[in-house]
Amino acid sequence: MYWNKKVILVLSIVLMGLAAVFFVKNDAFLYQTPVGRIESVKKISKAVQIDNFKNQDYSVRQQLKVKILNGKERNRIITVNNEYTKSQATDLKYRKGQTVLLHLTRHHHQIKTATITDLKRDVPLTILIVMVIGLLIMMKSTGLRALLSLILNTILFFIAVEIDVQQEGSGVFWIFSGIAAVFCAVTLVLVLGWNKKMWVSFTTTMLGTFIAVAISLLVFRLTNNGGLHFETMEYVTQNPEPLFLAETVLGSLGAVMDESTDIIVSLAKLRKENPLISMKQLWISGRNIGKTIMGPLLNVLFMIFMADTFSMMALYLRNGNGWGYSFEMNMQLGFVQSLISGIGIVLTVPIASWLVGIFFKKGAVQHA
Amino acid sequence: MHSVTLILMLILALLMIIVGGATGVRAFLSIIFNFAILFLNIALIAWGFPALVITSISGLIILATTIFMGSDDDQITQNAFYSSVLVLMVLIGLILLLQPHLLVHGFANENNEDLEGMSLLIGIKFSDVMLATMMVSSLGAVAEAAIAVSAGLQELIETTPDLDYSKLFVHGYEIGKEIIGTALNTLFFGFFGSFLGLFIWYVKLKYSFSEFINNKIFAAELSMILIGFIGVISTVPLTAWVMQLRQRKQKEL
Repeated sequence: MYWNKKVILVLSIVLMGLAAVFFVKNDAFLYQTPVGRIESVKKISKAVQIDNFKNQDYSVRQQLKVKILNGKERNRIITVNNEYTKSQATDLKYRKGQTVLLHLTRHHHQIKTATITDLKRDVPLTILIVMVIGLLIMMKSTGLRALLSLILNTILFFIAVEIDVQQEGSGVFWIFSGIAAVFCAVTLVLVLGWNKKMWVSFTTTMLGTFIAVAISLLVFRLTNNGGLHFETMEYVTQNPEPLFLAETVLGSLGAVMDESTDIIVSLAKLRKENPLISMKQLWISGRNIGKTIMGPLLNVLFMIFMADTFSMMALYLRNGNGWGYSFEMNMQLGFVQSLISGIGIVLTVPIASWLVGIFFKKGAVQHA
Repeated sequence: MHSVTLILMLILALLMIIVGGATGVRAFLSIIFNFAILFLNIALIAWGFPALVITSISGLIILATTIFMGSDDDQITQNAFYSSVLVLMVLIGLILLLQPHLLVHGFANENNEDLEGMSLLIGIKFSDVMLATMMVSSLGAVAEAAIAVSAGLQELIETTPDLDYSKLFVHGYEIGKEIIGTALNTLFFGFFGSFLGLFIWYVKLKYSFSEFINNKIFAAELSMILIGFIGVISTVPLTAWVMQLRQRKQKEL
């Protein structure tokens, strides 16, 4: 009976996933922009290119026959030229069968020119989303709660971004600090439930994160942003320094939450089992739990922050720049972000032990 | 020396030592060591070494440093290492299957300002660089989850002497459930934090839904979060499986 239920669950997840992928594969009718499928590819010419730094590359021109999949010109086949290089820094090599987004210019209702603006990437993304949701559903209540918190946090995140854009970025740090508190509360309620442990974890996370930011701000001010290049931040449309701090708060939030819940859940259990345990013993136990997870947790963030800089680093290094300069221009801010997050993660250990000592009073726990 | 980077490094090192003692020293060194590996990794790729091979080796070294420098218990660290290597192999397979359809390598229009004055014809395939990025970005999360699951199961084995090892799988699942929620959040916020500026950009410049969902950088970020999620979730059964195998072997000896 148990296995039957499980088989039915897995089968229905797979079927629903396949249906979703099939739908997205054929969703061209939903697009406002013209969508086309590449029917055939012909290589026209290939030329060797050498740049100022003696990098050897080549560029290839290809002629594509594209069948339009939506709009008035549906089923029309047009010819599109595309040029790509070996490195494919800003261009792409297209293959038969791929679907692409098109830009068409018209003259007297006739298509005059056609260019490919981008690849349609929604199908592989849907496959990944379906896999993750499927795996989470199979983890039953925990997975579903995790899924709910991810969805809620995504919605909250976009609301905060919308508010920030309307305020023209004037209060970016405060907006995202506020939203970080809401994120934290929502996530902790879903993980721990509405209870004392949740509030102690919440307070710990907030204190750890903001003390770390305060320490780093102090260092920024004292050294006059010594050696920091906020102008190297990517995708900046507003004042970069507060944006950097907002990114740091958000980025470290998950890791600090992870550390504080781990410590607080164990210490609260310890105090419940042994109400007479002293503050010193709590501190020692908290330290023992905290110290083993702080390194791995910081590595989680460190990998995320560093991996994103690889493409730019490759470009800088191949453009004749030294290691030091390439690091400063691309990796430094991510590195500093990791350091601030690390300070937050480490500070969480004493704060969590201390707060458990205060809020889970000796003896009082028996009544709770 | 008035360098923010150095001062913050000193503060972190000091705090880690005060709070963690010897473990703190190792935690700090693991970060520095991993940084050196990552830097060497990208430098070697830029020199033209094959990205898949180089990054697989770096991946193994990073997993080993993160896991073995994190804890003293040999049983926990060995199990965590083996299972995280298995997860890494699963993820590499997934990335190799998906990347030809995602084509998220290189740069998009949003990067134009940063590309000014640069030669883009560098002769290195950016698809290889992207492969390295995707592999590295989830390594930390996989290592962390593997340690947590392995530690949880080890504690169970030690406190329950007559444990039925064929049920280790079910127990691993129970322990994993507690870990997954918080591990996913760590990844989720890590990514959202590092790309806040980009999301503001999308909203400010009023990207349509189709532009947004098919955008190269967005697709790259989203696929990295999701691949990381799959890595973290698959850590649970794979760790339980590794422990079951190794327990059986130890019993036979």
